[in-house]
Amino acid sequence: MAEPRDIFIVTNAVDELGGLQQWAHDVSGLFSARGHRVRLIGVEPASVPRDYGSDKPYEIVTLHDHHLPRLKKGLSRPLRRRSRARQQAEGARRLTEMFRQAQPGGVVIAAQVWAGEWVAKADTTGLITIGMSHESFEASKNSSRYNRARIYYEDLDIHLALTDADADSWARAGMTNVGAMPNPLMTTPATLPTLDEKTVVTLRRLSHDKGIDMLLEAWALVGPHYPDWRLKVFGSGPDEEALRRQAGELGLDDTQIFQGQTENIDAALSAASIYALPSREEGFPIAVMEAMAYGLPTVAFDCAPGIRELIHDEVSGGLVVTPGNVPGMAAALERLIKDKDLRVRLGEAGQQSVKKFSPDSIVDRWEALFALLAR
Amino acid sequence: MTSSHPRPDVTVVVIVYNDAARIETAVQSVLDQSLRSREVIVVDDHSTDDTPRVMERLAAQHPDDVKFIRLPANSGHCGAPRNAGVAQARGRYIMFLDSDDTLDRHACRNLVSMAEESDADMVIGRCVRIDVATGKETSWMPWLVKDKVVYESLRDEPELLYDVLSTNKLYRHDFLKRENLVFLEDRYYEDNVFSAHAYLTAKKIAIIPQRVYNWMVERGAATLSITNRARDVRNLTDRIAVTQKIDALIARYGTPELRLQKDIRFIENDLRTHLTGFAELPEATQQQMLDIARPYVNGIGPEAFKQAKPLPAIAAYMVREGDAEGVATAHDYLTGKENRGRLTTTLVVRDGRIFWCDRHLDDPLGREVLDVTELGFQDLPLSKLNLGSTLTAVRRDGGAVTLSGVVTDPLGRLQKPKASLVTWARGNRRRQFTVKAAIEPAGTTLTWTATVTPAQAPRPIGFVDPIYSFVLRVKAAGETVDVNLFAAPELIDELSLPVKPVLSRLVADRLEAYRTDKGNIALRLAAEGKGAKAGGDAISKLRSQPLGARLWGKAGTVRRDLRERLDKRNTKLAWYDNVFSRMPISRKTVVFESHMGKQYSDSPRAIYEELKRSGAPFRAVWAYAGEHPNGFPPDVKLVRRQSYAYLRELGRARYWVDNQGFPHDLRKRAGTTYIQTWHGSAFKRMGFDEAQIKAQTSGQQDKLQSAIDRFDVFLARTEHDARTLTKGMRVHAELMRVGYPRNDVLIRQDNPDEVAALRKQLKLTDDRKVLLYAPTFRPDQIKTGLELPFDLDEFVERFGDKYVLLVRPHYLVSFALPPAYAHSVRNVANVHDVTPLMQIADAVITDYSSLMFDYALLDRPLIFHVPDYDDYVGSSRGSYFDLAEVAPGPLTRTGDELFAALTDLDALKERYAERHRAFVARFGEYDNGNAAKAVVDRFFTSGTQGARRG
Repeated sequence: MAEPRDIFIVTNAVDELGGLQQWAHDVSGLFSARGHRVRLIGVEPASVPRDYGSDKPYEIVTLHDHHLPRLKKGLSRPLRRRSRARQQAEGARRLTEMFRQAQPGGVVIAAQVWAGEWVAKADTTGLITIGMSHESFEASKNSSRYNRARIYYEDLDIHLALTDADADSWARAGMTNVGAMPNPLMTTPATLPTLDEKTVVTLRRLSHDKGIDMLLEAWALVGPHYPDWRLKVFGSGPDEEALRRQAGELGLDDTQIFQGQTENIDAALSAASIYALPSREEGFPIAVMEAMAYGLPTVAFDCAPGIRELIHDEVSGGLVVTPGNVPGMAAALERLIKDKDLRVRLGEAGQQSVKKFSPDSIVDRWEALFALLAR
Repeated sequence: MTSSHPRPDVTVVVIVYNDAARIETAVQSVLDQSLRSREVIVVDDHSTDDTPRVMERLAAQHPDDVKFIRLPANSGHCGAPRNAGVAQARGRYIMFLDSDDTLDRHACRNLVSMAEESDADMVIGRCVRIDVATGKETSWMPWLVKDKVVYESLRDEPELLYDVLSTNKLYRHDFLKRENLVFLEDRYYEDNVFSAHAYLTAKKIAIIPQRVYNWMVERGAATLSITNRARDVRNLTDRIAVTQKIDALIARYGTPELRLQKDIRFIENDLRTHLTGFAELPEATQQQMLDIARPYVNGIGPEAFKQAKPLPAIAAYMVREGDAEGVATAHDYLTGKENRGRLTTTLVVRDGRIFWCDRHLDDPLGREVLDVTELGFQDLPLSKLNLGSTLTAVRRDGGAVTLSGVVTDPLGRLQKPKASLVTWARGNRRRQFTVKAAIEPAGTTLTWTATVTPAQAPRPIGFVDPIYSFVLRVKAAGETVDVNLFAAPELIDELSLPVKPVLSRLVADRLEAYRTDKGNIALRLAAEGKGAKAGGDAISKLRSQPLGARLWGKAGTVRRDLRERLDKRNTKLAWYDNVFSRMPISRKTVVFESHMGKQYSDSPRAIYEELKRSGAPFRAVWAYAGEHPNGFPPDVKLVRRQSYAYLRELGRARYWVDNQGFPHDLRKRAGTTYIQTWHGSAFKRMGFDEAQIKAQTSGQQDKLQSAIDRFDVFLARTEHDARTLTKGMRVHAELMRVGYPRNDVLIRQDNPDEVAALRKQLKLTDDRKVLLYAPTFRPDQIKTGLELPFDLDEFVERFGDKYVLLVRPHYLVSFALPPAYAHSVRNVANVHDVTPLMQIADAVITDYSSLMFDYALLDRPLIFHVPDYDDYVGSSRGSYFDLAEVAPGPLTRTGDELFAALTDLDALKERYAERHRAFVARFGEYDNGNAAKAVVDRFFTSGTQGARRG
């Protein structure tokens, strides 16, 4: 067992509804279970809060009482920047106070680059400093986060991407303090699917980046040939109405497809035989890890290195299709629909390979990283 | 930490010789490592400067981390000091660093962590060369360090042999001991043997893409480092000796395949470096170098010559043959850091192939290596050929200066040449001065002469334009090309033009020639006369004062910044948005562009010509891409795509007309009407129906959409367009259902002169039928060039007497045609407009190109040669209809099928007559020969103004 450390995990908002916050609570719990003293810090209150439970073995702190204004382009930007710098200095001062209490060997993890701005402004002397990009390099590149990571993560001990391939992209772009750390898989299936149910399932937010529109197009090419098979989409989101309309235009029955939001992932996954991931952007998709844990083969667009890190095309976990290639996705779905042996083979292999992301192995990797950075 | 403490992870061995100024920076870069478990051993090769003092101070300051060793005598090489350092090293891993370079802050940690993770004997990271003067960074062999990867042995990646540096790597200390890996102590290039030995014996080799090593490169410095002084004879001798040692190692540990890889590397890299600038060496030195290299090169197997890149292979082959002139011409043409590249050899045609020269062609290997048909000298635009001219004489006659020179004429392509001497201020093409030159053929070369009289001399401003480019501009065979000038040093010294700067002769009084880093001639402002010298001296005195120097430096920075900023896209856009788009609209201006400026062609051309015929008052502006507007009409305003002039014209124009898309980031002002003609109906999925665009984020898709929303009208030739193309592209503009202007002539056939001229130009003089092969665009062919999916030999053999085949690659793809086929095959890549080619063709062979829809209007046979049909249509791209079902001609999958279809074109026409009618009805319904007129009537000649939307 490694030496217990003081670990500070800094996010934008601790109780925000979202994958990142789920991750932050998950690893905080895992670190605490290994005896580390964890403090989970949010910069500001959540805009869409979610209850992540109480009685946590780690402390939760929020730096600012109010939601902070974002910097938009425009003439008043310099003015607003000054007023935010004042607020930020106050938040950074609070962080510094907390950091000073840490024992030697303490660790600060900025889980998001916006929160990383506060860490960069706080005094982290004597601590191990880590910044994280919970998305693909490509996704960062398409947003302002690329430039901000270059600035605010430059002087940290290490900047962690989700996969080696993403870390390599950052290295090629010129950052040398880069490495990779995958997310842990927290799901333990209660019921395993038989792979006989004639259902293709996906659990997604209904928004453009999740690509349900492309899944509908693909299903319109396959579904009609297999009338006893169903596509089920769990989730809600801003595009729901447009997607239902699109389904109608494609001659699909939207009431059969759209199932609404569900909390019961176990029921949704165990009653399906194929998982679909038609996303345009991903990091290291927990959805695929969960499908793998259930032994479901996945059909996914190759939209981020994280996909191939999980799915070994044709070998384990499922089938990978060129991004945006709708006929290709249709063909892959059809192959799995027609071939139960293939579903079983890919599903079982995936179930095995996803074990390397078990909470224990991931925390081992974290502790090895802390030791390396202290050398 | 003291030396009794546990072993450090890494020992960095730094070698130094007379480098007191920089050694501290190097050592500090190790002390600053994020991995704290490291030590530095500095080994001094018996410096005679301050180095020992600096080092003793550093060692005293960091007694636990820095060790200093001074060799008792100078060894003259890097090997002995490195060996001495390793002997004292305590670390579990070893790295090497030179005193003038630095380590990246995380180098040790990244390398050690990879070594531990992979259990490799050596780990390689990225080395970055930094030009000290400019700060410019270039990655060293970036293709070797793209991804984190572990190789079991060198066999997994023989290309590693290219990276011979010992410095950007981490070695397991045990590994060095186990294999007794030491540096040679009495040779240059000691790195090469060490690295080869390490590669060959390492149990595993790991790669990380992170930068680990900063290689500081000082150009033109007095203290040339060894690798920069690569030319003298001693170096070549050492290189050969070292290479022989490496061969011995490969024989012991490696495989024949590795030996081949190494031989190729030797030809492409080592030998090339030593022979750079061969033509400029004295004859005796040339001979000496050939004598040294020849015995070794003779031992290289023929396979290496065949597999190495063509020009280095030619140079090596010439060494083998002892042909000094051949070595010189090959190196003249090799473009590199120190060479602009120029054609000085006389190419020859033998048996329908093109060869580098007429020598050695009876040797089978010579015939293979010297065959340069695939390099395309016969077909590429002249501007891609690196023509060069050598100055032969400079004469002064009073104020006038007369220059003469020669240009090598490749394969007689410089037909009816005209020439002029042109000079312009670097970075400001508007300050350009031209003097006519007399040029005449003289065998396989052309000779030229030009006299610059004081009245014609360039008129620089002074100060702000210190450097002038200087070229011979040659117009030949319908193309304009700038030819770089070269000369012997004595001649360069003689060449200077008297000038009268705008800021008076006190600033400077002549433009003198100098040799640029790349070997060609440029001009710079200089002072010769008393007044100018005095002025120049006064200025240099001012500059030597601290304040003056600061101001001068500042002025330089401001100028550079301004230049850079002007070139930046954002600056251009700001000018476009805030200035050009707010100028009063020029009501008569129409900006035309075809295929992003690459051509004068297609529907924009047809509309332009119709507009001219109509007599409507308008001012035409055509955009062109590339250096010179070759093939554009002479009587219109021509602007280079993306230049300021281009943006100004677009910002003020009343009409935009193009067939593909003006730059997406240019907003269209409210007063401008955008006529989008488009360039073909769709078979493949287009726009938002394409996978690549489907997969884009909403931000990217929105950008594309707003570019498309600039269109005011979009021309359609069929309802098929409305169902597929414009739907896929989400075009919200008004559809003008008038057909394609470019197709008017296909219906009307009212351009007999143009067709006849083109027939003549293509030498279609007999009555053989003409076939046009026009395949669709494949992005991978931008690099590889067009490869024909049928056998040209067989085609010529079977049909050479019956047909002439025109090969038309996509305009972004090149094609090299061996002259052997000249009788029955023509390369028509350089013809701007494909429409008259269709008119000439008695039948067309295509695959999926939208040309099928246009050519069908002519009611002549079409053949679809689609060996990759299932792959292309099935999975990768997707199509809007089933080609096999509706094609107005046969689909052929093999060469045999294609040739069978070609045997009887008349029968083909008859057999597909019914389908042909249906095809034209479906895909050409609005093409009735009046499209251009409809557009012109609607927008330019009718009393009412056309559609205008915000």
